[in-house]
Amino acid sequence: MKRTFQHPAEPKTGKKYWRSVEELADTPKFREWLSREFPAGAAELEMDGLSRRSFVQLMGASLALAGLGFSGCRRPEIHFAALSKSVEWSIPGKALYYTSAMPTRTGAVPLVVTTYDGRPTKIEGNPLHPASNGATTLHAQASILDLYNPDRSKIFLENGKESDRQKFDAYLAGLLPKLAASAGAGLAFLADVNNSPTRERLKQEILKKYPQAKWAVHDPTGSLQAEAVATAFGPGVTLTPQIEKADVIVALDSDFLGLDSESTGYTRQFAARRKPPKEGGSSMNRLYVVENRYTLTGGMADHRLRLKASQIPALTVKLAQAVANLTGNNFAVTLAEIPLPVDQQWIDECAADLVSAKGKSLIFVGPRQPVATQILGFAINSFLGNIGQTITGFTQAVSQQIPLPELVKAIQQKAVSTLFILESNPVYTAPVDLKFDDSMKSVTDVVHLGLRKDETALVSKWHVPGTHYLESWSDALGPDGTYVPVQPMIQPLFGGLSANDVLAAVAGLKIPQGAEVVKETFAKVKETAGSTADWSSFLRNGYLENSAPSPAALTFSGPLAAAVSPPAEGVEVVFPPDYKIQDGSYIDNGWLQELPDPITKLTWDNAALMSRKMADKLGIGRPTHSDEQHLESEMIKITVEGRSLEVPAMVAPGHADDSITLPLGYGHAEGATGKIGRGSGFNAYQLVASAASYFAVATVEKTGKTYQLAITQEHNQMEGRAVVREATLEHFEEKPEFAKTMFMDSHSPPNISLYKNPDYTSPERKSPEQWGMVIDLNSCVGCNACVIACQAENNIPIVGKEQVINNREMHWLRIDRYFASAEDEHNETEPEMVMQPLGCQQCENAPCETVCPVNATVHSDDGLNVMVYNRCIGTRYCANNCPFKVRRFNFFNYNERPLEKMKIGPLPESSGLYFGPLTKKGTEDLIKMQKNPNVTVRIRGVMEKCTYCIQRIEEGRIQSRVKAGASDNLKIPTDSIQSACQQACAAEAITFGDLKDPDSRVAKLQDNPRRYRLLEYLNVQTRTSYLARLRNPNPKMPGAGKVADIYPDEHAEGHDSKDQHQGEGTHH
Amino acid sequence: MEQPKILGIPIGPHATAEEPLPRVPHVYNDRSMGWVTQRICGIVEGPTPLWWWLALAFFGSIALIGTGCIVYLISTGVGVWGLNHPVGWAWDITNFVFWIGIGHAGTLISAVLFLTRQKWRTSINRASEAMTLFAVICAGIFPGIHVGRVWMVWFLAPIPNSNAIWPNFRSPLLWDVFAVSTYFTVSVIFWYMGLIPDLATLRDRASNKLARYAYGFLALGWRGGNRQWRHYEMAYLLLAALSTPLVLSVHSVVSFDFATSVIPGWHTTIFPPYFVAGAIFGGFAMVLTLMLPARAIYGLHDLITDRHIDVMCKIILLTGSIVGYAYCMEFFTAAYSGNPYEQWVFLRNRMADPFIFSKIFDVPVAPYWWAYWAMMSLNVISPQIFWMRWARHNIYVVYAVCMCVNAGMWFERFVIIVTSLHRDFLPSSWGMFHPTWVDIWTFAGTHGIFVSLFLLFIRFLPMIAIAEVKGVLPEADPHYQPPEKKSHPAHEAEVPV
Repeated sequence: MKRTFQHPAEPKTGKKYWRSVEELADTPKFREWLSREFPAGAAELEMDGLSRRSFVQLMGASLALAGLGFSGCRRPEIHFAALSKSVEWSIPGKALYYTSAMPTRTGAVPLVVTTYDGRPTKIEGNPLHPASNGATTLHAQASILDLYNPDRSKIFLENGKESDRQKFDAYLAGLLPKLAASAGAGLAFLADVNNSPTRERLKQEILKKYPQAKWAVHDPTGSLQAEAVATAFGPGVTLTPQIEKADVIVALDSDFLGLDSESTGYTRQFAARRKPPKEGGSSMNRLYVVENRYTLTGGMADHRLRLKASQIPALTVKLAQAVANLTGNNFAVTLAEIPLPVDQQWIDECAADLVSAKGKSLIFVGPRQPVATQILGFAINSFLGNIGQTITGFTQAVSQQIPLPELVKAIQQKAVSTLFILESNPVYTAPVDLKFDDSMKSVTDVVHLGLRKDETALVSKWHVPGTHYLESWSDALGPDGTYVPVQPMIQPLFGGLSANDVLAAVAGLKIPQGAEVVKETFAKVKETAGSTADWSSFLRNGYLENSAPSPAALTFSGPLAAAVSPPAEGVEVVFPPDYKIQDGSYIDNGWLQELPDPITKLTWDNAALMSRKMADKLGIGRPTHSDEQHLESEMIKITVEGRSLEVPAMVAPGHADDSITLPLGYGHAEGATGKIGRGSGFNAYQLVASAASYFAVATVEKTGKTYQLAITQEHNQMEGRAVVREATLEHFEEKPEFAKTMFMDSHSPPNISLYKNPDYTSPERKSPEQWGMVIDLNSCVGCNACVIACQAENNIPIVGKEQVINNREMHWLRIDRYFASAEDEHNETEPEMVMQPLGCQQCENAPCETVCPVNATVHSDDGLNVMVYNRCIGTRYCANNCPFKVRRFNFFNYNERPLEKMKIGPLPESSGLYFGPLTKKGTEDLIKMQKNPNVTVRIRGVMEKCTYCIQRIEEGRIQSRVKAGASDNLKIPTDSIQSACQQACAAEAITFGDLKDPDSRVAKLQDNPRRYRLLEYLNVQTRTSYLARLRNPNPKMPGAGKVADIYPDEHAEGHDSKDQHQGEGTHH
Repeated sequence: MEQPKILGIPIGPHATAEEPLPRVPHVYNDRSMGWVTQRICGIVEGPTPLWWWLALAFFGSIALIGTGCIVYLISTGVGVWGLNHPVGWAWDITNFVFWIGIGHAGTLISAVLFLTRQKWRTSINRASEAMTLFAVICAGIFPGIHVGRVWMVWFLAPIPNSNAIWPNFRSPLLWDVFAVSTYFTVSVIFWYMGLIPDLATLRDRASNKLARYAYGFLALGWRGGNRQWRHYEMAYLLLAALSTPLVLSVHSVVSFDFATSVIPGWHTTIFPPYFVAGAIFGGFAMVLTLMLPARAIYGLHDLITDRHIDVMCKIILLTGSIVGYAYCMEFFTAAYSGNPYEQWVFLRNRMADPFIFSKIFDVPVAPYWWAYWAMMSLNVISPQIFWMRWARHNIYVVYAVCMCVNAGMWFERFVIIVTSLHRDFLPSSWGMFHPTWVDIWTFAGTHGIFVSLFLLFIRFLPMIAIAEVKGVLPEADPHYQPPEKKSHPAHEAEVPV
């Protein structure tokens, strides 16, 4: 590298000294010599790549000769070069990016994985993929931690005892001839739902070889959607709703913006239609939601109706009737008399609105609702002419498989002797009436493959440590049906096997491992798709071009006469998967465990959610303010068909009465989790029967016991402070700048400074870039992906339940959730829910900076409030003086502190003591591998906070400087830097960029009329601003006047004369 | 004590029918200079009483437990205290401000009252100054240990370093460092200066060699010559003049920690005078808390007279009322400003008790209403009893009020710090503070340190300024004529040794 040194100009007066004759002569040759960093050997090093390479070769050879090289070749079959051999294109400390995909049940999430020196550290969406905007889901973000989970399954187990790969191979070798002899009689497979074409191909191979083998799938989330779609539209159909085209959307117990969407597409399409027409959107869509508990989708609703989950089938019938009447369709299903606590006007006006948007509307019915209800939903869609318009789909070859109950039946009939359980944990997740664990005992050979040593692993004959999707080759179909690779980033850390490996072995394929098995599938898919792409471009792009299946001509042929059972009387208990740990497979993921539930803000546990009315009925008291923090929740006993479970009760605003929501996935058996999942939550699967997998009639009683829950946000009301601002679309069109004149901003006098503040807004601002962020509250659904993205990017530790109880969680970015209501803010019956992501606001006039006695938090020239960890002594004064309370203090050495409670000597474990210096400390090496090398891992006693991902800013700056070379064009390309939260956001709610660059998106958003800043009156001049939220109610609906009318409006009316420009510091 | 008559004569303890308003002597019972020396030095020279050993063992143990807590804190992390995210400061800074406040009375008595020629100060200034030092030592512990990385505390010092990073001179926390260290330094010098003549007295009277050498070393060669006295008094006057602004500055600077912030409940311009008044208030209460038992144990009623107690009670009444005014003024400011955040802090974080105010204003009960009303009743209401003369002259009432004020002033700092922080601007981050056992024992430990140091002080140093008391005796007047009836040797003979 040649560097140009900027030597100062020689002084014009005085004597001139020279050091050598060459300097005196000042020849161009000498100047060149002077400007070289390594004058002596530089010529050889930079001559061309060859000599450097030969140098590296020599180094590698000498290392190998010295005997050290053996560490680099312990596994001859490895396709990855150990870095001691210095890969040609790898620059130490520089990230490499590879495409991959995270398999999900409904369609893989296309990814780009960041790797440093061979270890994956961060996951992003694949921006090249047509169905992705580079965003990721919450679980894709968090899944990287599963790779580095120190408690993941590492060794082969045979009858619970340690074994190894050789023994397992020997076992398989002995097993296969027997299976072949019997044509697969007694052989069965049980797998999780997975749409990998390679797996499908291997399965076909196996079924070809062992025709009598059985293949069962089990979806522990209880989704019945596949069955419903198959019944309504024929087998093999996958639906792809076109949310972007829908003007009116009705979600009946469907959380399509949250739980029921495993990819980013729904959120992205929905958010695209939430823009008001003035901002380039065509028109804003309208969302009706009917649900028993608040979901993320319910939070986005323009009209929300709370209704017991068991009453939703009946409501669907009524809605179908109303729509059919208006559209002149024949609708035969009638229920004698359905007692529904619903205003008929609500249904009629909703139906009318749907009909007015014929062909441009969309009905979602929750995938866990009974099949008949879901079919009714498709029927409404077909009445409205939405099929083929907003509902499209594609067809795939139908795969032969049986559901779990059939497999259990076969087991009970002794028809199964060898059972392969692949990436599934039926002992824990199977409906309790199937008695899977008891049945399993009669199977002689059970081979379980999984990432965790879970309940099923403990009772299987063989447990094979599974590989993470970042460790093994596979493939999948993206949400739109495109063919995507699942590419490994690293060799299996603990020598595990993937499901494909085991299937290939059972199928007796020659090449049982590696990419070859996927390559074969790729060749076939490529041929079918007629693509010319080669393998390397497939891997490079992360998807196969033109492989998306062409839309199928869908015709609704659903059996409408299917019985819709009338709603059950009494208390119902509803079992959705958990927002964070889903069906329980993420139980050992510390990030997800400590992530606040988006609605309840609960961490580390699940709880029985219920309405205030229901809690009052059960005699569950309201926690008083003084014990808000140490929230002792009362335990209730829920009994379903004789099976009972004691769980802590939690009042959830907006919950339907006589209904209890109990998320699945928690309460794993002792020994079936790692340290993280141990003792976390309560096992709701114990109450789930196969006939009532989603809701069941229950009896509930108070037990008198209490349980401590760790909740990150105890205060749910804004107390009239207009923190989140919202209005109806109508109000906005009338008064576009409504958000600027709310609460204090309506009447606080202009700030007059007695002395000059550092003015970062003036044209002569010091740095060429001035960073800022705008968060659109109208788009944000509160999915939490940004929170985990921030945690992964910035090496943020988890702190454990005890510490969360003491409000010491470390998230730099949090999502505040408020409930609000027009009449009474403390109304817990039917409040509105709003979300607000909140990280450091990067105040230009930052209160934290003036109070730090050691100059540990200072302002950078580009407008960041930067935190110097090395300088911080931890007075916590900055955090006290932060009006947004976004600074996080490392009270213990959270990065080094083992999570489990300390027990030293005779002290009881319940003492809760933590003896820092006496305790075995240190991060486990495995967790260290995830750390972002560009971000400091902070020690205890140091304040930390969001810095707009300063490491990414600097990386971008360095890149633009390198590109600029000697030229003066130092400008960082517009919008080329993304913060981690922004990159993860599917709704594109977060915009980060250079305020000084007039072309940047963030600079353009400064003029948005909805823009407002938090606590403007404090004159802190925040760099992060918010775009107020809009709702689009139907004026004819009952209660429409109350929608988004959550603030006393008297200020906004009386003070219109106020200077609109006051306090608009960064306003251009 | 004679019971005063209300309208008729006599009224004061020294009043007679002939002289209804006599000049009350600073030392009662016409004690002679020799008596004063003998009485005060006798405390130091006499055998160590058993109660002293028991008290030292008790308070020393508490100090050790506190020290153990500090070791645990430093070795493990600030998390062993109950601090959390909205409440970044709690008992640590509460205790700091509490002790610093107590450390105000000593210098006020010795410096301000010296400059204003209040001669009654002489019999209480030494002990109050000692109390000041010990309180500042206790105070100084907290800012030192409450930081996350104690081993980096030297960053606070303006040491030129190769990184060219200086402390942030805009931070009130840094002003604190300078203010408190200056105050401590000046107070130590001032106290030691005053001790020199008395140390010489102890040296001259010492009966064993060790004491003679020790006191002799500390007395810095004091011989009591005219020139020495002249220099001494000039130096004392100068130090008094130097200390006087410090009395006002230290607590003003401490109040800036809060006043310069943006947090409602902290961001208050009334804080400097209010904090200074509160400090004098709390300091005098602590002086009385220590002096009343000492006076009773050592029989010092003639030196620390009822008049001293009476005057100090009046100061407590005055400063307590100033503090009460400040509390009400804060309220008025919050109400009158129309700032909803300010109003919230005062009404809904602090004042709304479950019985009256939450009902009047129709708001939920404030989480820390008990702390607020403890502060109000202990600090503002309890001293009002001193409007009554009998209360100022009843030792038990005085002691009870002083204990109330001691507790009340701690609550004042707790209320300011914790109730402002726990619910500020954004309701999403509101929380509560719960102390851990480490919080409690660290605070108790500082009491142990404080009392232990005071016990050592009264055992080894003259707790009353002998030379200064002698200066206010009638005998010190050059025109003094001894009354013929009284013979001094007879009085001296009464002194138990």
